[in-house]
Amino acid sequence: MHKLNVVGKRSPMLDALEKATGQARFTDDLSLPGMLFGKILRSPHPHAKILHVDLSGALKVKGVQGAISGKDIPRKKYGIVPMAKDEYALAIDKVRYIGDEVAAVAAASLDAAEEAISKIRVDYEVLPAVFDPLESMKPGAPVIHEEVPNNISASIRKEFGNVEKAFLESDFVFENDFETQAINHAPLEPHAALSTADHSGKVTLWSSTQIPFFLRRNLATTLDIPESKVRVIKPKVGGGFGQKIDLYAKDFCAAFFAMKMKKPVKFVYEREEMFTSTRQRHPFRIRLKTGMKKDGTIHAQQFRAIADGGAYNSTAPLMITLACYFIMLPYRLENLLFEGYHVYTNKPVGGAMRGHGIPQVRFAVEAQLDMISEKMGIDPLEIRLKNAFLAGEPHPAKLLVQSCGFSDTLKKAAEGIGWAEKRGKLPFGRGVGLAGASFPSGVSNMSHISSGAVVKIERDGSITLLTGAADIGQGAETVISQIAAEELGVLLEDIRITAADTEITPLDPGTFGSGVTLRAGNAARMAASEARGKLLEAAAEKMEADIKDLEIRDRRVFSKENPERGMSFQEAVKVYQYSDRPMPIVGTGSYMPPAKEPTTLLKEDGNFSPAYSFMTQAAEVQVDTATGKITVLNMVAAHDCGRAINPMLVEGQLEGSVVGGMGQALYEDVMTEKGQVLNPSFLDYGIPTAMEAPSINSVEVETDDPEGPFGAKESGEGTQLAPAPAIINAIYDAIGVRFNILPVTPEKVLEALQKKE
Amino acid sequence: MRLPQFEYVEPKTLKEASKMLASDKKTVVLAGGTDLLVNMKHRVIEPRRVINLKAIPKLDHITAGKDGLRIGALTTLHDIASSPLIQEQYPAVGQAAGEVGAYAHQAMGTLGGNLCQENRCRFYNQSPFWRGVRSPCYKAGGDLCHVVKKSGKCHSAYCGDMAPALIVLDAQVKVTGPDGERFFPLKKLYNQNGKKPLSLKTGEILKEVFIPPSSGKTLYLKWRLRDSLEFPILSLSLHMETDGKGQVKKARIVFSSVGEGPVEAVSAEKMLKGKLLDERMIEKVSEQAVKEISPMRTSIHSPAYKRKMAAILVRQALEELRNAE
Amino acid sequence: MKHILKLHVNGEDYEILTEIHKTLLEVLREDLGLTGTKRGCDLGTCGACTVLIDGKPSLSCLTLAAAVRDKKITTIEGLAKDGELHPLQKAFAEKGAIQCGFCTPGMILTSKAFLDENLKPKEEEVKKAISGNLCRCTGYVKIVEAVLSVSEKQ
Repeated sequence: MHKLNVVGKRSPMLDALEKATGQARFTDDLSLPGMLFGKILRSPHPHAKILHVDLSGALKVKGVQGAISGKDIPRKKYGIVPMAKDEYALAIDKVRYIGDEVAAVAAASLDAAEEAISKIRVDYEVLPAVFDPLESMKPGAPVIHEEVPNNISASIRKEFGNVEKAFLESDFVFENDFETQAINHAPLEPHAALSTADHSGKVTLWSSTQIPFFLRRNLATTLDIPESKVRVIKPKVGGGFGQKIDLYAKDFCAAFFAMKMKKPVKFVYEREEMFTSTRQRHPFRIRLKTGMKKDGTIHAQQFRAIADGGAYNSTAPLMITLACYFIMLPYRLENLLFEGYHVYTNKPVGGAMRGHGIPQVRFAVEAQLDMISEKMGIDPLEIRLKNAFLAGEPHPAKLLVQSCGFSDTLKKAAEGIGWAEKRGKLPFGRGVGLAGASFPSGVSNMSHISSGAVVKIERDGSITLLTGAADIGQGAETVISQIAAEELGVLLEDIRITAADTEITPLDPGTFGSGVTLRAGNAARMAASEARGKLLEAAAEKMEADIKDLEIRDRRVFSKENPERGMSFQEAVKVYQYSDRPMPIVGTGSYMPPAKEPTTLLKEDGNFSPAYSFMTQAAEVQVDTATGKITVLNMVAAHDCGRAINPMLVEGQLEGSVVGGMGQALYEDVMTEKGQVLNPSFLDYGIPTAMEAPSINSVEVETDDPEGPFGAKESGEGTQLAPAPAIINAIYDAIGVRFNILPVTPEKVLEALQKKE
Repeated sequence: MRLPQFEYVEPKTLKEASKMLASDKKTVVLAGGTDLLVNMKHRVIEPRRVINLKAIPKLDHITAGKDGLRIGALTTLHDIASSPLIQEQYPAVGQAAGEVGAYAHQAMGTLGGNLCQENRCRFYNQSPFWRGVRSPCYKAGGDLCHVVKKSGKCHSAYCGDMAPALIVLDAQVKVTGPDGERFFPLKKLYNQNGKKPLSLKTGEILKEVFIPPSSGKTLYLKWRLRDSLEFPILSLSLHMETDGKGQVKKARIVFSSVGEGPVEAVSAEKMLKGKLLDERMIEKVSEQAVKEISPMRTSIHSPAYKRKMAAILVRQALEELRNAE
Repeated sequence: MKHILKLHVNGEDYEILTEIHKTLLEVLREDLGLTGTKRGCDLGTCGACTVLIDGKPSLSCLTLAAAVRDKKITTIEGLAKDGELHPLQKAFAEKGAIQCGFCTPGMILTSKAFLDENLKPKEEEVKKAISGNLCRCTGYVKIVEAVLSVSEKQ
């Protein structure tokens, strides 16, 4: 590959200055003339029948222009996974958790909307509720959804190899229980939606969403109108981390009121609603049994996971499936029996969150691997290197790993943290640990999971790029523009990108599964390549050169053989125009990740993702043995992201993800009591502040993935899989105590230290 | 979350403010706003009238005199934390101010507001929606306490950072009421009543805090999960004067967040008087101090954990002061 | 109840008719159209709504607009001088200290107030100063780097 000019540069995000000056517009920053303000009434009961909703009090409040409850809306369920739809935009017959949506109002002012909500009277028949997933699975437990009498709304049982035999062949068998907690994504921007409708019945929705096209589909379903009548526009989004992958009542209600009243309506969630009524990481109860060979080979694993799903499905089947398949990376594992259950409880709803079902698994596997290495007398780094998956190896579930830098990430993370000098050698209270992981770069093989792009070369030589990809702050628009600029041989500033407007930009599934760079990047590259070809055709004609001999770089078209022969990019555009070729020069690209054996994994094995990223986290911690306080001093994040399109943005992804992972190890826990969230605020829910942030060393291990655009794979999401186990393993090295339940608070450390004495 | 509607006034003198406050039970005073406005948004306080004290001149000062230091009630916590005078003479006071919330809370929050902040409870500091799951508690105008069901009183906890550090220094407060001024020990500002935690009489407003000259050493230790933003899980201030040979002449230990007001461990203090601070004594005193606090489940942290941490903090404070000798 | 409110924001005098119970955040965003100031929690716990009042960082969601009539208010829109961006704005953009950008206005203004008081801060002091401004994207690393890079040029 020739020298890259734009790809690989540490370019600031295209919209960084807009954001630094306050000009960037997020959904709540938008307003339209005559706009109304909406509010949602939520259930105070974890489980109850709705007998009657009396909206009259709300309608009497001055300024209130509309009020609706579940019986006013189409009886259409929605869900992000089509086979698991189980939710109405407003509860129709019963409420299933504290915070479930019951009614909504639209008023001329927020004051009036807030007052109106307090004037709605709801008669409930309170039902017995269940809060513990193990209780919920028992016969006779309260049934949360009538269609699912056993409360197990998704399950998976898969065996690879021969597990029974493999355990018999194992020299050592280890069995441990683990527990993870509920985590809130806590994006800084609260969820918001603004909608307007015209007299033809067309609805436009600006929404803080990661998935404009899926949202369009779900909105059309719930409103019971054709998709063509819905336009979703994503303004700037203030972080998502998976929480903005769903339709929410605010989207539906804004659109519904807008249609009904022909006025713009805006809904913005309170921070408390973000905690009680959006999505969270599923708490897992885990039993993990592992069979080892004497030489340190992982021979068999049996994994049983019970995921506390809360009141609705959201991504349930996919989440539990991902948990299963990604046990088999980044280590070679021939024999696996996985049983996973997604169980309804009367609690806040689980959903996709950075890592999506896999961080829980990695916590268990990586923590146990350290126990195993200790018992077997093998260095934890060695045992990981020994079992590390390699590129091109056959995979028991038929995942196709074409590039894999896992071993390198292990070595580099170990080197970065000072493994050889520190592991087992630091004074009591201080320790190091590491953990590995792998993550898909997007999802293969569903045609609606394809990305499109359009590249237009304009008369002045500038480039217009259309992509459906949803930048939620990770810098997708910048990275996709870099890819297009590289392919076209122009500079980054020549690109003007328009993204994530379902009416203007081509289809894109959105931001999830870490697929944006690979998928939308490839689409943009294809579109750029096509436009480039058209331009070069005209240039070749003029230069009387073979098109294959032409190259574009730094805004200059030239002959590879004779580089002095050439013209500027702008001249080439002129040449194109004067040769009576049709303007504008348009290239289109549609990219669907290929796979030899198509699968969604929900039904059969096969290659799930076009590429897999690999990573190792290493941590150094200090434990104050008098108070139990843990300080993470250093983290090393070694990540194989293929080729970094923008190393500065990759680092940013890694650093943010590491601190989030640290929060999950030590500080964060959505606590509930009888279904009520006890800490729905930033005071009591401890997302790390700058004071807690450790020093972070990001090490990019570059591999060149054949499928990724310029070799790029995912970064950032996978990084959140391993910080928690790395920290937990470091704590063991520091004080000799194993923690199998997250988060590890000073209280638990003190207790454990006292028990140890 | 919108504020409820209210009438807004800006008196020009403290006396005027005090008269306004006395004239109406549903009137409140506003200083920095970091406590009051949250409670108003949560609708646990719905005043008819808000008196902004910030327009009153001369309440923002740090003045050193021969007989001690005077701090105006409207002095911001940030000014206290960054005052060279306080850093030199009463470092624990500056440190406590620097541990309130974060930078902006300190720049907004005032000494008076911090001392007069409302008690806190996990059932009280919540939105109307959250509280709507249960019947209203004493503090929110109801007639029960969710922390201790049949106790017949409110158990909300005082969670301020400034009071412990000032009480151990024998700080006094000057308050202005409709009938003039009163001057009394800061400790007496707190009446250990969760529902109405301050002993201020109708119309009284905190005007000034006075710290007498101090010998000996003072510490403020705050325990929380994250080193910013949070209220203390619990905190304590220790003041100790020794004879120079390790024998304790005087000791004061005051806790925050473990009772309905700041809690002084009086018996532990007595235990220390005239004693040499050896390992055994430190152990005994920390055990005793824990007996004198009564944490309830007013936050997401358990009373048992607070007790455990109280003992650890007392020990750390005593060791630190001993080692500083 | 409405009143006529005079505010001095970013060097401009405004006179508006608005409700007396509005916070400064609400007045800035709704009445003055200065939406650069963000509403992240509305309860003073995230720092996204931080503005400068007489140069000091203030949580506009916990400030009554009526109570700051005589003050100099600076929002993120008013930080650039004569079209020239503030060094912090440039540093945040260039160093990758901005991802989603939602915490950025508050983060930059807090940092400005801090650097105005501390010419040569240590890394730990920077962390403490911005610790009331939550960021979920960056892990704070590049934010601290950006603030320190500006302080080194001071």
